[in-house]
Amino acid sequence: MRKLALTLALTATLLLSGCGYNQLQTQDEAIKASWSEVVNQYQRRADLVPNLVNVVKGYAKQEKDVLLGVTEARAKVGSIQVTPEVLKDPQAFAKFQQAQAQMTSALSRLLVVSEKYPELKSDSVFRDLSAQLEGTENRITVARNRYIKTVQEYNVTVRSFPTNLTAKMFDMQTKPNFTVENEKAISAAPKVDFGADAAKGASGAQ
Amino acid sequence: MMLIASVLPRSLLAWLVAACLALLSLCAQAEVAVPPLTGRVVDLTGTLAPQQTAALTEKLAKLEADKGSQLVVLLVPTTQPEDIAQYAIRVAEAWKLGRKGVDDGLILIVAKNDRKTRIEVGRGLEGAVTDVQTSRILREEVSPHFRQGDFYGGIVSAVDHLSLLVRGEALPPSQRQGRKHYRQDTINGWIAGVLAAVVGGSFLVSMLGRWLGGAATGGLAVLATHLLFSLAWPFAIGLGAAAFLAALILGGASGLGGWGGGGFGGFGGGGFGGSWSSGNDSSNDDDDFSGGGGGDFGGGGASGDW
Repeated sequence: MRKLALTLALTATLLLSGCGYNQLQTQDEAIKASWSEVVNQYQRRADLVPNLVNVVKGYAKQEKDVLLGVTEARAKVGSIQVTPEVLKDPQAFAKFQQAQAQMTSALSRLLVVSEKYPELKSDSVFRDLSAQLEGTENRITVARNRYIKTVQEYNVTVRSFPTNLTAKMFDMQTKPNFTVENEKAISAAPKVDFGADAAKGASGAQ
Repeated sequence: MMLIASVLPRSLLAWLVAACLALLSLCAQAEVAVPPLTGRVVDLTGTLAPQQTAALTEKLAKLEADKGSQLVVLLVPTTQPEDIAQYAIRVAEAWKLGRKGVDDGLILIVAKNDRKTRIEVGRGLEGAVTDVQTSRILREEVSPHFRQGDFYGGIVSAVDHLSLLVRGEALPPSQRQGRKHYRQDTINGWIAGVLAAVVGGSFLVSMLGRWLGGAATGGLAVLATHLLFSLAWPFAIGLGAAAFLAALILGGASGLGGWGGGGFGGFGGGGFGGSWSSGNDSSNDDDDFSGGGGGDFGGGGASGDW
């Protein structure tokens, strides 16, 4: 009887800590996989930029600052080395997120500007690139959502009892998650100004 | 609040609470639910006539029989408050179209009242059916038809174009006909499962004695197969009984128990889980259409409007 109790107790403790460790490892790997998918899609977007800039330049080379903004954003994104170590360092993660946010706003400015040039809009190369960009942005969203889910699962495991003991034992911490960038800017409604743009558009289309 | 509750008669209070809840639920803008996958053409707007639906279903069934890729047409009235892309990915993840590992699913969604369309492409077909091509299909084929109110024509031309693109792609051969045959991984799963029962059983028997160990193995097998791998009770109990017997008869080999139990248990569990989840949609009929078992959608495809 005593031997049985002892065996059961031993098995229970082994199982508890064993389970926690394996679960953490599995979820950690899931995070790495979904993170590389996110990085992949961001890279795909960055690769579209040079062609996009070239096409827009063909029709709207006077929009210098917007084009420059996009090119600079791409250079910045390219300069950040993204390794799995980024996941362990919240500051590096924040920097990466910031660079990508800058790219997003530069691209949206570019697309807004190209609305003023009907010839550009009807150009087939530009149409194809826009389709690709749209698809890539959607893929980025999906990849981010999946990453957020995997990080959430992992963080919950790291913080719940009793797996948090295992996590502390092996020095596993919560991983950083995507935050909503520019919360203030998003909550302010965008201002739409047709007056100045209409005048510019008329002169630009010549 | 409590004063009011004590003053009003019970029935009136109950009615008021119910009315408040009903009002709240009306105000809350719920997301559009993912409809059940009732067939290859899911038309919740009543746009297509029955013979049109039948003709489309036949085309789509032929595509799956020839290439293994699953293309489904979905018509909903609206996807608000979600964007059609958000709704599409939810539908794709719920329906799991396309074969597991090959990810060759496609969904053509039409949100009729929103006047929006979208083609959602599975990962395995992203090379054949690129964003540019889906965008062109929606813009040049679907939208002109839809603008004239010819929904069937637009959908048919989209389906034809997509089929053409899919047929050009080298996909693994369709196994739709041979579903009932046990595939290699199902057999592997069974072998692993039996080994796990034997080794695990001998481990438990060496610890707890013959009868108790056998009973424990049988019980664990029943629970594991029913809860973890969603096996029906009869199957689970059958497996449990087999495990019990195996443990009884072979329980003498206590040496194997220690190191073998853990490793084989894990492998057996994995093999079981994989084979049962993929082998369960067993249908030779085209009347009984079900998702291919876990096609992965990465958000590729394009949206359009008309």
